[in-house]
Amino acid sequence: MRITMLTLTSLFILACVVMLPSFGQEAQEGSLIGKQVYEESCAHCHGLEGRGDGSGAENLLPRPRDFTRGLYKIRSTESGQLPTDKDLFDIITVGMPGTSMPGWETSLSTNEREEVVKYIKTFFSGFQENEKPPREVRLADKIPYSKESVEIGKGLYVELGCVECHGNLGRGDGTSAPTLVDAWDFKTWPANLTENWNFRGGSDPEDIFKRFIGGIAGSPMPAFQGDTFYHFGLTPEQSEQYAALEKKVEDGEELTTEEEELAAQYFEINDTAATAALDWAEGLEMSPETLKIYNDAMKVVYEKSWHLANYVKSLSPEKRPEFAIGKHVLRSQYIQGELPALADETWNTLEFSYYPLFGQIVVEPRQFNPSIDSVNVKSFYNDTEVVFLFSWDDKTHNTSEEENEETGKTYQDAIAIQFPVRPPKGPTDPKPYFLWGGKKPVYLWQWKASAPDTLTELTAKGIDKAEEQEAQGNFAVESDYTDGKYSLWVKRSLKTDDKKDLQLDVATFVPIAFSVWDGGNGDIDTKRVISSWYSFVLEPLPSTRRFIYPPLVALLSFGLLVGLRRFIQRRNS
Amino acid sequence: MKKTSLFTICLVIFIVCWIFLRFVIGGIISAPIPNTVIAMYMALIFIAILVHVSVEDSRFTEFLRPVNETLLDDNKRTRRLILVILIPLLLSGYTYSNIAQKASPLGDPRQAHPKPPLDLTYKDEVIDTMQKAHNPYRKYEKEDPELFKEHVENGRSVYYKNCFFCHGDHLDGKGHFAAALNPLPANFQDPGIIPNYQESFFFWRISKGGPGLPNEGTPWNTAMPIWEDILTQEEIWDVIIFLSEYTGYTYRTFGEGH
Repeated sequence: MRITMLTLTSLFILACVVMLPSFGQEAQEGSLIGKQVYEESCAHCHGLEGRGDGSGAENLLPRPRDFTRGLYKIRSTESGQLPTDKDLFDIITVGMPGTSMPGWETSLSTNEREEVVKYIKTFFSGFQENEKPPREVRLADKIPYSKESVEIGKGLYVELGCVECHGNLGRGDGTSAPTLVDAWDFKTWPANLTENWNFRGGSDPEDIFKRFIGGIAGSPMPAFQGDTFYHFGLTPEQSEQYAALEKKVEDGEELTTEEEELAAQYFEINDTAATAALDWAEGLEMSPETLKIYNDAMKVVYEKSWHLANYVKSLSPEKRPEFAIGKHVLRSQYIQGELPALADETWNTLEFSYYPLFGQIVVEPRQFNPSIDSVNVKSFYNDTEVVFLFSWDDKTHNTSEEENEETGKTYQDAIAIQFPVRPPKGPTDPKPYFLWGGKKPVYLWQWKASAPDTLTELTAKGIDKAEEQEAQGNFAVESDYTDGKYSLWVKRSLKTDDKKDLQLDVATFVPIAFSVWDGGNGDIDTKRVISSWYSFVLEPLPSTRRFIYPPLVALLSFGLLVGLRRFIQRRNS
Repeated sequence: MKKTSLFTICLVIFIVCWIFLRFVIGGIISAPIPNTVIAMYMALIFIAILVHVSVEDSRFTEFLRPVNETLLDDNKRTRRLILVILIPLLLSGYTYSNIAQKASPLGDPRQAHPKPPLDLTYKDEVIDTMQKAHNPYRKYEKEDPELFKEHVENGRSVYYKNCFFCHGDHLDGKGHFAAALNPLPANFQDPGIIPNYQESFFFWRISKGGPGLPNEGTPWNTAMPIWEDILTQEEIWDVIIFLSEYTGYTYRTFGEGH
C-alpha cells in the first residue's frame, strides 16, 4: 500500500515536471492583465500592435520602441541577443532618462509590470522561438574606477574610434554625428557623454560597460565584438605594431618583406577571431580551438571596455548641477577694476549657474525634440560694467547664412537672453510673459553664430513680435565654439542712455530667461529651446556693518548683564 | 533629590514650544512657518509664562531665585563667568550672521485659485457663462457609452500629442520637460485639482493658458500655452474627459458646495 502511494506521488510529481514547460509557454503568450495594462498605459506611445506608432509617437525623438523587431537598446545580454525579462522589467520600472519614457514603479504594481513584460514579448516571435536563455554580459572581471584606468580609457577613446561620433571631449559633436540614423531611419544623435543623467540605461561603469559589450540595438552604436571592434583578436602590443604598419601603408611608405609578412599574419589573426565571433553570435557549435580564439580575443575587449567605461564615467560631473532656482540664483560677483576677458583664469573662480531648457511647444512651429539640455552662466561686474559668460553644448556648429534649399530658410545656432525692460518692484509686481513678453515688453540680447562678434538688442511684446532697437547699445562680444561647446562673452555698461534698455542696479533681483536655437536640429523662429523666468542679481559687497554691529551688541549685552547684577545687589542691600 | 527649579521648567517649556513650532509643525507636519509668525506665538507663550509665575508673590520670588543666585552667589562664580561670556558671544554671532546673509530673491506669492471670467469663450466666441457651461460630450457617458469611449480615446490622443511633455505620462505633472519649468505643471493625480473645479474652469485654463490669467493675484508666471490657437473645442472637451477617466476623479459640478 505504502509503495503504491509512493509510486503515485512520484508519478504525479513527474507529470508536473513534464507539464511545467508547457505552462511556461502559455504564460509567454501574455495574460489578459498584461494586455489591459499595455493598452491603458503603453499603447498611446508604443502603439496597439507594439509598432511604436501610438498617437504620441509622432512628436517624440527618440521614438517609442517598436517591439515587433526585437531590437532592444538597454540589455544586460550580449550582442545580437534578446533582453532578459529582468532587463525589460527594469526599464519599465525606472524609465529611460533623457527620453519621454517615465518610470512606472509608482503607477503599476510589480505584478502588472511583470505581466506587461510578458505581453510585450508577444509582439516579437523570437522570444517564443528561443529555447536557450539569452547570454548575459559577464561583469566578473570588473576593473574598478581609478585615475590610472581613466587615463588608459582616454587613450582607448581615440583608438577605438569613439571620437568620430561622440567628439573629442564626449559632447556628441563628432564629425559623423549629423549623419546618424537608427534602424528605422529616424534621426539619432550620439550621446553627450558629459551629461550622464541622460544616459538611457544608467550611468554606472557597469551600465556603460554593458552598452559596449552588448551594443545598443537599433542604434548606430556598435557592440564591441568581431569586426566592429578595432583589431579584434590582437593583443594590445600586436595591435600597436599593426597600427604602426597600417599607418606606414597609409602614408605611402614601402613595407619590408618582414613587415609585410607580419601585417599579413595580424590580418589573419584578426580575420580568424572575427569569424569566431560570428559563430559565437549565431550560437553555432565551436571547436575548442575556435572557442579559445574567441575567448582570448574577448578578454582583451573586456579589459579595454572596463577602462573605457571608467573614462566615460569621468566625463560627467558627479551629479547633475542644481537648477538655478531658489537659493541657486545667478549672482554676479563684484571685481575692482578691469573685468575678465573670455580666456581669463578668473572665470574659474566662479561656479556656473545651471539653467535647464525645454522645447518650445506653445507656438507653431514647435520644438518637441530639443537637442540642447541647458545653458550655464557666470557673471562679474565692477563700478560701471557687467560681463556675462554663457556656455551651452551643441553637437553641430551651424553658422551658415545660406538658405536651405527645401525650406528656403536659414538654420543657424543662436541664443537670446531675455530680461524685462524694468525689473519688477516687488513680489506682486508681475513679470512679462515668459515667452518674449506680452502686454509688458521684454528686452533681449540676441546673438547668432553667423555674426559671432555682434549682439543685437531687441524689444519684444510676444514671441513673434520682436523688433530690433533703433539705438543699438555698445557691447563687447566674443564667442567660441570648440568641441561641441559654445562660449559667449558679453560686456555692457550697467547703465545706458536708451530708455528701452534694462538698467542694472546693485542688489536688485532681475528676472532672466533664455532661448537657444540649434540649427543642426532644425531650430528656427519659434522652434527652439527655452527656459522660464529665473533670477539674477549684482551681488552687493558684504556690508562693512558686519564688523561694527556684532561687537556693539556684545558690549551692550555684557553691560546689561553687569548692570542687572549691580541693580539686584543694590536692591537687596 | 534636588527639585527642578521653576525657572528651568519654564525655560524648557519655552524651548520645547519653539522647537515644536519651528521643526514639528513647520517642517514635519506642514510647510515652514515664517519667522514673524513664530515670533508672535513665542511672544504669547512668553507672556503666558510670565502671567503664570507672577500670579503669586511667592511663586515669582521662587521663579527669580535661580536668576538671583546666578548673578550674586559667590559659589556660582563659574556659572556666572560662563554666562557673561556666552550670552554676548551668541548675540553678536547672531547679529553677524544676519548681516552677512546673502540677499534672497523675491518669493512668488501664488493664489491657489485664479478667478475665472464670467463668460467661457473659445477664441472670441462666447460658449456660455462660466457657471452654466458644461462639457457637451459628457452626456454620452450614460446615453451612448460607445460614443463616449471614442471621446475618451480622442482625448487620450490629444493628451499624448500635446500635454504629456509637461504634465507627464502618469498625469502627475512630471513630464520630461517639467523639471525645467517654474512653477511646475499641474498634477492631475493630486486629489485637490480635478474634484475642486468644474469642467468649464478646465476649459478656460486650457484654452486661454498663462496669458489668460486675471490681473489679480499676479504674478502667475505659468508656461501654460494658449491651446485654443492649436486645439479645437471638441479636442479640449475630450482631453478634459480623458483627465477624469484616467485619474478616476470627477469634476465638481455646478451647485455643489463652495
